Amino acid sequence: MSESAIVSTAITKWVEAGSPTPILMDRLADVVLQALKEAKMKPGDLDAIICNTTAIPFDSPRNITTSAQLIAHRLAEKIGTHGIQCINVCAACASTAIAFAVANAMIKTGSVRKVLVAGTDNSPRGFYLSGQSILDSDLAASGIKAIGITNPTYWAMWARRRAYEMGVDVDDIKKLMALVKVMHSEYGALNPYARYNKVFTVEEVLNSPVVCDPLHLYMISATSSGAGAAVIADMETAKKITDKPVKIVASTVGSPIYGEPVPRIRSLATVGGNKALKPFTEWRLPIMRAYKEAGIKPEDVDIIECHDTSCFHTINWIDQIMGWEREETDKLIAKKQIRHDGELPVNLSGGTSSFGEAVMAQAFVMVHELFRQLRGEAGPRQAKKKLRIGLCAAYGGYGSYGCIILEKGW
Amino acid sequence: MAEKTRRKVPIVDGLFTWSPDGPRLIATRCPACGSIQFPKSNVCNNPECDHSRPVEECLLSPEGILYSYTIHRYSLPEPFSYHKAPYAIGAVELPEGIIVLGRLAFSDEKALRIGMKVRLKVDKLYENGDTTYLTYFFEPVGGGEG
Repeated sequence: MSESAIVSTAITKWVEAGSPTPILMDRLADVVLQALKEAKMKPGDLDAIICNTTAIPFDSPRNITTSAQLIAHRLAEKIGTHGIQCINVCAACASTAIAFAVANAMIKTGSVRKVLVAGTDNSPRGFYLSGQSILDSDLAASGIKAIGITNPTYWAMWARRRAYEMGVDVDDIKKLMALVKVMHSEYGALNPYARYNKVFTVEEVLNSPVVCDPLHLYMISATSSGAGAAVIADMETAKKITDKPVKIVASTVGSPIYGEPVPRIRSLATVGGNKALKPFTEWRLPIMRAYKEAGIKPEDVDIIECHDTSCFHTINWIDQIMGWEREETDKLIAKKQIRHDGELPVNLSGGTSSFGEAVMAQAFVMVHELFRQLRGEAGPRQAKKKLRIGLCAAYGGYGSYGCIILEKGW
Repeated sequence: MAEKTRRKVPIVDGLFTWSPDGPRLIATRCPACGSIQFPKSNVCNNPECDHSRPVEECLLSPEGILYSYTIHRYSLPEPFSYHKAPYAIGAVELPEGIIVLGRLAFSDEKALRIGMKVRLKVDKLYENGDTTYLTYFFEPVGGGEG
């Protein structure tokens, strides 16, 4: 079985969502050519293109959404190919992370050698109104219509429940979330690709309007628009391209689990009754699988990039990735040990917190950052400690999860 | 328009009953494995079920324990603008062992506590012309902690 490695990455600057410019496919093609150039390849050298689908809305129930879904095929037509494997991956906000899993699996079987993972997204501003088509009457998806559930509803309830289970005041987790925002914003300010460059104070975060308590406005990521690309090759090819290939040591996919006791985003109820599992098993399982695949333990992870659509997510991801007592996570954050000079740097990209979320394309930010960090190319955001292994964790609606573990390949 | 002349319509069909003997949530129970799911479905959702018998519709217990909650301070935009802030949503643990999300009716937000006993009711979500749209709420029951 071949090993696979990332040989190049590129992302655009993340910008405000909800406007038709910059032109979606033009911007994607630009960032793809940039990644191909770094990989010393032409489009004609590729064996496969894997793209995330998008959250682009349509204005009429008569308009079908295939153009928003067939991004790989549109890209293949736009940059030109000789007849290759084109695959589109849809897993909500975890789409790109799962596109990497597909690419990794294809290379490891030896069926392809050079794969482009690329994608872009644009979405409406504000709350994601995950309504239903008039042609889809599934009761399970009726939460927003019947009771007004949005994504932050879940995040807020999870945060309040965590405080309750730990026996602490809900204001304690509020302060911790504000501190996460502050630290992420420090790195957003140092990242030319981040949409937001303002450094926040704890007071500013806590004084911002409440969206749904305990979540304040500045604890929730905005919706953004952006594009990214990465070129992946088998290790033999990768070593001919670069002397610093970044090995994909694991890339796993998660799903909704029967018995998950925590209400999952977009669901109206849990299942499983007395057979219930530990909270957030769904989040943890793909990470555990990734550790097994990589042959490592949580303490081997040197740096994390996690999908922080709210500041609660950063806290919960650290809980799940490290698998330790929740108090340990709180201590790590309170002692500011997730900064570039800390014990366990988290989201030195600035995170979704500083980028806003280009929904299905968001994992490009995380993979790009880990690729640059492991290669020592992150400039002022570069972690001080010696790095060998980085972990990226993404999650999305309906129980979609992806985990990628990267290791220096030289 | 007087309340009694308005037509009462559930905001989504099939989620709840609102008969005079008390509203209930409509779920599905699998006679083969016992798995319960809300909202109702045409198939059992237990991956280990042998699907030897078709699922049956059932009504869930009207009382449960508040697992968590939040109060929304922003109204939703169109087409869901009838969800006007402030409104609360609670996750409620039912005796069936599942947690169900629903609107949380409250008069004093400071009195809301995880662990308190709540009871189902069906009430007005909003009115439009001659129609009153209904949805289900959980409401704190006197007596406090469960």
